[in-house]
Amino acid sequence: MAIRHRDLSGSRLIGRVLTHGALIIASLVIGLPFIWMLTTAIKSPAEVHLFPPVWWPEKIRWDNFVTAWESAPFGRFYINSIITSSTGVFLEVSIASLSAYAFARIKFRYREMLFMVLLAAMMIPGQVALIPNYVVLKHLGWINTYQGIVIPHVSSVFGAFLLRQYFLTIPDSLYDAAEIDGLGHVRILFHIALPLARPVVGTLTLYLFISKWNSYLWPLIITNTQNMRTLPVGLAMLRQAEYAIGPEHLMAASIFVLVPVLLIFFLAQKQLIEGIASGAVKG
Amino acid sequence: MKVARYSWSIAMALFLAIPTALWANGTKEDATQGPVKIVYWRSLTGVAGDAQEELVKRFNAAQDKVIVESQFQGAYADLIQKLLAGLAAGTVPDVVLLDSPFVVLFAKDGALAPLDALVSKDKSGFKLADYIPGLLQDGYYDGKLYAVPFMRSTPLLYYNADMFREAGLPDRAPKTWDEFREFSRKLTLVTAGETTRFGSAFTLSTSTAHWYFQGAVYAYGGLVSDDKFGIHLSEAPAIKAATLWQDMVFKDKTAIGSTDPHTEFLNKRVGMVFGSTGSMGNLFSRATFKVNAAFLPGQVKNLVPVGGAVLAMTSTDKVRQAATWEFLKYMTNADSVSYIVQTTGYMPVSTSSMNHPDTVAYFTKYPERKVALDQLKFTRPQASVISLGKGTEILRQMVEKLLVGGMDPAKVMAETTVDLTKEYNDTFK
Amino acid sequence: MKKYTRPLRMSKREKRDAWTFSAFVFPNFLLLGVFVFWPIVYSLYLSFFKWNMIAPRKTFIGMMNYVNMANDPVFWQVLRNTLVLAASTVFVKLAMALGLAVLLNRKIRAKDSYRAVLFSPTFTTSVAVAMVWGWIFDPNFGLLRVFINAVGLRSPNWLGDVSWALPAIIIVVIWSGVGYDMVIFMAGLNNIPTELYDAAKVDGATPWTCFWRITFPLLSPTTFFLTIVSVIGSLKAFDVIAIMTDGGPMNSTNVIVYYIYQNAFQWFKTGYASALALVLFVIIMTITLVQTRLARRWVHY
Repeated sequence: MAIRHRDLSGSRLIGRVLTHGALIIASLVIGLPFIWMLTTAIKSPAEVHLFPPVWWPEKIRWDNFVTAWESAPFGRFYINSIITSSTGVFLEVSIASLSAYAFARIKFRYREMLFMVLLAAMMIPGQVALIPNYVVLKHLGWINTYQGIVIPHVSSVFGAFLLRQYFLTIPDSLYDAAEIDGLGHVRILFHIALPLARPVVGTLTLYLFISKWNSYLWPLIITNTQNMRTLPVGLAMLRQAEYAIGPEHLMAASIFVLVPVLLIFFLAQKQLIEGIASGAVKG
Repeated sequence: MKVARYSWSIAMALFLAIPTALWANGTKEDATQGPVKIVYWRSLTGVAGDAQEELVKRFNAAQDKVIVESQFQGAYADLIQKLLAGLAAGTVPDVVLLDSPFVVLFAKDGALAPLDALVSKDKSGFKLADYIPGLLQDGYYDGKLYAVPFMRSTPLLYYNADMFREAGLPDRAPKTWDEFREFSRKLTLVTAGETTRFGSAFTLSTSTAHWYFQGAVYAYGGLVSDDKFGIHLSEAPAIKAATLWQDMVFKDKTAIGSTDPHTEFLNKRVGMVFGSTGSMGNLFSRATFKVNAAFLPGQVKNLVPVGGAVLAMTSTDKVRQAATWEFLKYMTNADSVSYIVQTTGYMPVSTSSMNHPDTVAYFTKYPERKVALDQLKFTRPQASVISLGKGTEILRQMVEKLLVGGMDPAKVMAETTVDLTKEYNDTFK
Repeated sequence: MKKYTRPLRMSKREKRDAWTFSAFVFPNFLLLGVFVFWPIVYSLYLSFFKWNMIAPRKTFIGMMNYVNMANDPVFWQVLRNTLVLAASTVFVKLAMALGLAVLLNRKIRAKDSYRAVLFSPTFTTSVAVAMVWGWIFDPNFGLLRVFINAVGLRSPNWLGDVSWALPAIIIVVIWSGVGYDMVIFMAGLNNIPTELYDAAKVDGATPWTCFWRITFPLLSPTTFFLTIVSVIGSLKAFDVIAIMTDGGPMNSTNVIVYYIYQNAFQWFKTGYASALALVLFVIIMTITLVQTRLARRWVHY
């Protein structure tokens, strides 16, 4: 793009420089921890323990990643995280769609009342439920299982609310036409409502996937063997390995955990940010 | 857009199919006739962790009736929490590496399987009397045997011999806590108003903070708590030990409290550090300077609390118990223990392992590592309060209040006594 | 499932719709019932007992858990830490987010890139983030020491110092959340009609007056929303604290969710932990209800 010189009077130029200056500084402050993570991960132990620090190692130590990967069953953690996050997202989005459609389109005498109940659930913090949920899962025999990690967190309030809003914006004429064609609610949901809501469903899916991938407290409590741990829990446990593991390995392992999330974020950042900005997704 | 629609469906199908397949695979429990599969929960990392893995591997290769799966559960304190959680959930392993004072806590609630019947039925020539009696003692609760000694240790003082020489100190460890304070002062370096090197570091970590403090109290001729849970922290020995530690941090500024003192030591930021006998292998192999291991300083007595871990059985059915018993015997036989001694520095826990030719050769070759063996004569069990659910945590908080908070030692001891008494009542009443 | 015992005639279609409705919402309501609503009742129940989760029997101790709580100095410290964390993060974070949003809302180049970078911490795994920050705060080799020494100061022993550990946590929480708040503010700014600014400019108002007379008041619904969201968010803080400080040193960074976790899953004081959880519930409910009240009175969406 060509710079339109004629637009720039002196004071405006200064204003722009200042604006960019401030934004660059802010971006650096936000971005620096990531850069620090990366450069630490490729340093030698000696370089890690230097002050003032070296920004770039003399020789890139890729073997730190190998050591970090082998210091715990990270392959298994990956599989566990993928399984629990994706089944969790699938179930939650399905449950959200069904509820949303029911509240948007199906007439029922107690609908409004039930909707208030649904909204009330939004106010209850999940942290209150840790102990009771643990006890329930104990009775179900679900401690240290995938079900145990996934099922308590697939009920949907926010997603149902969001999709309902969207389903309500779909013109009645479309639904009516479908009903005249003899389609039932199930078919209308799957063939008309959901395909139209694809962008919203997509954003919701990505958002839920990331938040499940990142979740730490519940998987920490509910898993007690190495082979069931998810990535964040496995990563956190590395801290206790005091000898074999240095800061460079911790950073390398942190990168394993972050890579999928950062990939999703940078591929879909516009969709995710705009979804949030439009109130589509709660932080 | 046909293509778009197909790719959407395909993505969706994969999204579902892969996890489902993996899930099925992951939750499958094989109930085959073959060897009995048992689960071992271990603790400790580095050399001490690798040694356990190696022995498990050897055991699995040596016979085909039992397969042991070893699972790392974090530091001692983490393993204990996981075991409590597992008991609550009804998902327990078969055998655990247990911090020795906790045998009482778990045996009391019936979480451990007594070993007496297995011992008396055993016809393989196994002899219980082979274990060092003082170390076997911790495995008993209420007259029954619940655990066998495995990676037993005493607290030691490790020092950087190069740093000692440079500071003009003799090449020996301080003999008393007063001397420890003096040495610490000489090792401390201050450049441009900033302390760049401290004489010593006290540990603040949950699993061991209480242990070295107990050692100091023993050295001053006192104890933390007696067998009947009487708490003696407000008596002179504990107050003296606490005051010395605190003064070194706040008055002398020659010591620090650290959650990771060994890293500070290896980075040459401190000259002396406490560690278990089991840290020997790690510190010796990782240090870039000469490390010496020595007794914990004495004062009026030369006495330390014996620590480390025992192996206890948690499996409930007969078949698995029998399999676990084979594993327990293997892990503590002369060859295995000798291997542990040589790799990690832990103490030989049986007469046969002490007389094992490899052990003898090892100590002849590295006489400086014999310190643990020598210290064995000067041990007594740990304080009873350690076995309370929150006991180690309360004592860790005590050390923290002294070394981080700088609170008055007498007040800290009084508070800790109240907390421990409350915890005792909570656990037993 | 619903039963219709009342003598009410439903058409065939109504009946079918009622069944379909029930079937559609059933999974969600079942899960909500078991994992969201029931826990409140069960927590209340457990809070009257002493129980270690292993023992087959729970011991009824009446209000003792609440009495103990009132006498527990750590509880009061935890409560204070939680409120300090909430208040300080909200204030600083919102101010920074608003500043950045105003800057980014101009017509400038690379807007999307700035936005993406500033927003990125929102979605990154908090455990990994806490790991890096723990290393940044290292008093000897940490990144922060570089900047602190550069201005001629000596680095505090951040996470090992009673008075610096909570500020360190606050810094991380602000760092993680500022991008989200900024994006919401940007959306709020976009909703302010540009005519207002044009009119103000005609009247000769400076950008500074414009901000305080137009932007700030009209942004109040957004600010209000973000305040509530941030406060509730920091009341639930756990991950960063669990990784960076374990609530220490000397409980200086212990907050209510972490204290619940410690009591329930480290020390197995299930009853006491349930009582704590209930306190958290009451605090959050109060804030939410106040919010709904105030929002009705103040804010015009």
